[in-house]
Amino acid sequence: MLSVHDIDCFYDDVQVLRGFALELREGEVLCLLGRNGAGKTTALKAIMGLVRVKAGKILLGDTELSALPPHEVPKRGIAYVPQGRRLFAELSVADNLEIGLMTRGKGRPVRDTVLELFPVLHARLNQRAGTLSGGEQQMLAMARALCLEPDVLLLDEPTEGLMPSMIARVRETIAELRRRGVSTILVEQRVDAVLPVADRVAFIENGRNRETVPVEALRTDLDLLHRYVGVGV
Amino acid sequence: MDFGPYLLLASLEGLVTAAVLSLTALGLSLVFGVMRIVNVAHGEFFMLGAVLAWAIATPIAGNPALGFALAMVCSPLVVGAMALLSERLVLRRLKYEPEATIVATIGMLYIIQQLALTFYGPDARAVQAPFDWRIQFPWFGYSGYKLSVVGASITLMLLTWLVLARTRIGLMLRATQYDGETAQAFGIPIDRVYCGVFAVGAMLAAVAAVLIVPIQQAHYLMGLDPLLLSFIVVIIGGLGSLKGTVVAAVVIGMSDGIISVFFSPTLAKILATLLVAMVLVYRPQGLFGKAVR
Repeated sequence: MLSVHDIDCFYDDVQVLRGFALELREGEVLCLLGRNGAGKTTALKAIMGLVRVKAGKILLGDTELSALPPHEVPKRGIAYVPQGRRLFAELSVADNLEIGLMTRGKGRPVRDTVLELFPVLHARLNQRAGTLSGGEQQMLAMARALCLEPDVLLLDEPTEGLMPSMIARVRETIAELRRRGVSTILVEQRVDAVLPVADRVAFIENGRNRETVPVEALRTDLDLLHRYVGVGV
Repeated sequence: MDFGPYLLLASLEGLVTAAVLSLTALGLSLVFGVMRIVNVAHGEFFMLGAVLAWAIATPIAGNPALGFALAMVCSPLVVGAMALLSERLVLRRLKYEPEATIVATIGMLYIIQQLALTFYGPDARAVQAPFDWRIQFPWFGYSGYKLSVVGASITLMLLTWLVLARTRIGLMLRATQYDGETAQAFGIPIDRVYCGVFAVGAMLAAVAAVLIVPIQQAHYLMGLDPLLLSFIVVIIGGLGSLKGTVVAAVVIGMSDGIISVFFSPTLAKILATLLVAMVLVYRPQGLFGKAVR
C-alpha cells in the first residue's frame, strides 16, 4: 500500500535517513521503534513531504508521494498527527476540525462521525484548542487527522505526556481505526503502550530500518528490544 | 475659533490620518503576521499606489470621480501584481529567511523609488478629489471627501476582519500564521498563501495611497513617513493583530492630528516614538500581540 524505497533525508548538511525502507500493508498497524535521534520522526515527515527526499522514493499505490509538493500529500489520503500535537492553539476546536475537513473537501457528516469516537470534544467545540487538557488535545489532534477520512494514518508519539487512562484511550482508538481498515504507522517511545495494538514492528537505528518483525516475534526474542531500544518488554 | 471647535477640527484631521494609517499598517502587519517578513519596501508600495493613481486619473477628462474610480480599481491591482512578482522572484528564492528578506526589501525600496523618480519625476502632483462636498458644522465647514476616506477605511477594515474571521481563506491564513508546517500537512499550500498575503498587503497600502492622494500630493519620496508610522502602529498594536492595528492607528493618528494642531508635528512624532519605546520595554509583543511561545 505505502512503500518507502531507500530514501536519504538531510537537515541542512546532517544526514538523518540513510537508505531508509519500509512497507506498510493495508489495514495494519506498523510500529516504528528506536532510540532518540534514530530518524523515526524524520521518516514520518518525509512521507508527508515536510522533509525533502534527496534520494529514493515513496510510493502510495502507483502515486509517487516524494514527487508531490507537501500540501498535495494529505489530499492523497495520508493524515499526520505530529509529535507534541501541533494544534492551532489559538483557534477553536471546531476550527481545528474544519481545517482537517477542508483538506479533502469533507463535510459536517464526517465531523459528526469523528466526534462519535471522541465525544469529549463535542462539548468543547467553541473552546480554544490551547486551553484543552493534554489528553483532550491529543484527542483533538487525532480527530483533526481523522477528518480527512485517511487511508493511512501517521501517529508520532501519541501517548507522550498522557496519564495511563488516556494512553488506554489512545490505544483503543488505534484498535478501532484498524477495524475500520485504516493503515497506521505508529512512532512510540513507550513500547508497552503500543505493542498490544501493533501488527509488526520496525526497528530504526542510525536512519536505517534494521529489521521488521511481526509483533509475536518480540515474545520469543526478547533481545530485539534490548538491542535496538535499550529496554525489555 | 474657540477651543471646543478647534479640538473637533483637530480630531477630524486625526481621524483621517488614523484611517489611512490603519489601512497601510494593516498591510504591513498581515505580511509580518503570516510570513514573518519585515517588509521595508511597504512604504514604496504606498508611494507607487499614489503615483499610479495620478498617472491613471489625470488623463481622464470630464468628471473627476471617473478618473478617481478608475485609479481606485487599477492602481491597487498593478501594485498587487508587482508585489506578487517580487514575492515570486525575490522572497521565495530567499526561502523567506528573516534577515535576508530585510536586506532584499531594502533593495526593492530603492529600485521602486528610483523607477518612480525616472518615470514620474521629482515633482509632487495632486489628484483631484472625486467630489468636493462640504459638511457644514456650526463653527466651520469640513471636507466631505475627507470624511468619506474615514468611511472607506472602516468598510475595508470590516471587510478584512470578515474575511479573516469568517471565511475558509481566512482560516487557511490563520493556520499558516500559527504553524506553517502543520498547515501544509493539512493540505494548505503555504507558498500560495504567502504570495497572496504579500500582494494583498501591498494592495492595502496602495488603496490607502489612492485615498490620500487628493489630500496629499503624490511624490516619489512619500513612502518613508507611512512606513515609519506603520512600524510604530504595528509595534504598539502587536504584529499580526488586526484589533491592535486599528487601536494603535487610531491612537497614533488622533494624537498626531491633535498634538500637531495644538503644539507641533515634531512633538507628535516624539511622543509616538516614546510610546513605541515604552511598549518595547514593558510589552514587547505589543498591546494586543501574543507572546512568542
